[in-house]
Amino acid sequence: MKKTVEIFILVIGLVFWVGCATVFGQTTINPDTVCANATAEQYFVTNTPTSTYNWTVTGGGGALQTGQGTDLITVDWGGVSGLYLSAIEVVESNAAGCPGLPIILDIFVLSLSSNLIGPFCPGDPSATLVGNPAGGVWTGTAVSGNNFDPSTAGVGNYILTYSMAGCNTTINVVVNNGPVTGPIQHF
Amino acid sequence: MIFIYMKRLLTILLLALTITSNSQCVFNESVTLLPAPPYQPGDVVLVTYELPTFTGIFINWIHAFEINLSPSWINLTPITTPLNPTGSAGNWIWDIQHTFIGGLNFGPGWRFDNTGNVDWGTSSQGPFTMSFTIEVAPTCTADILNISMLVIDDCTTGGWTGGGGACCTDPAFQIYNGLVLPDPISTSLIYHY
Repeated sequence: MKKTVEIFILVIGLVFWVGCATVFGQTTINPDTVCANATAEQYFVTNTPTSTYNWTVTGGGGALQTGQGTDLITVDWGGVSGLYLSAIEVVESNAAGCPGLPIILDIFVLSLSSNLIGPFCPGDPSATLVGNPAGGVWTGTAVSGNNFDPSTAGVGNYILTYSMAGCNTTINVVVNNGPVTGPIQHF
Repeated sequence: MIFIYMKRLLTILLLALTITSNSQCVFNESVTLLPAPPYQPGDVVLVTYELPTFTGIFINWIHAFEINLSPSWINLTPITTPLNPTGSAGNWIWDIQHTFIGGLNFGPGWRFDNTGNVDWGTSSQGPFTMSFTIEVAPTCTADILNISMLVIDDCTTGGWTGGGGACCTDPAFQIYNGLVLPDPISTSLIYHY
């Protein structure tokens, strides 16, 4: 029970965090969350035109792509989920070449996964969708909460999406035709 | 017996006071700094120095004005050269370094180039006004900013030896003594688009 409460609080926090990031277009919350294998993520500090900025990216499979020396960089992240302390560091130097104090940002790399379900036949009972980590949201045809209902969906191929903190993962679900049996004939 | 020693002691003391008093050659120096302190790296300061009167000992003459700067000052540039009112033939010249005849290592500053009697100063008693600019050097640490002006007579330079070695002993005039602090660096937090 206690574990569930902790996860719930974490999820609520993540949702609020993403919401803020969406509204304001940027975040200063530490740690910052990025999706696994995200590319060209932009990080910046308030620019002082006469200053230069030395960035360091470590952990999380992060690799600095562009912008070294400037106030804005892009980073590609790896796919291993986890919290990486001091993953981004920047040291500003003024026009005289004097360095300031390092500014750091911790990074949480979020990797989502889920169970595979199906294939189904029409009339099969609902199947439970399980996302990892828990607390995300399932969307797609015939999805209700954490359940997929093949009867509601009908025959076809469906892509269901599991979302959390701005990150997504998808699964394909198939509902096949059942055999069509003709009327009983009398030779 | 004790009175004899006291009298001798008093005589020596009076003599010392007299010499100290007579050795004062420089009076009422003044200076203006534009802009006024405090200073930051990159500031350029105009220093205007004035010596209203110079009175030598045993006809010692004024010979040079030496500018002494702490290392945090750079780009020393002369602006206004002192005049030579009712002085000897010659000119005040700007010099970065010069070794006087007596071996005194001088510079930077202005020294008088006496065209009549080489190695002498000028008989002018002033007033002398001169100016120069200096720039505060870039720095990453809090450094001392010091400016002083030393007035040198031709007894000290060794150009005039007729005074029995009684040269002017006025200390350098402290024009400014302060600190320069590095520009503060305040980096914002890291933002993520």
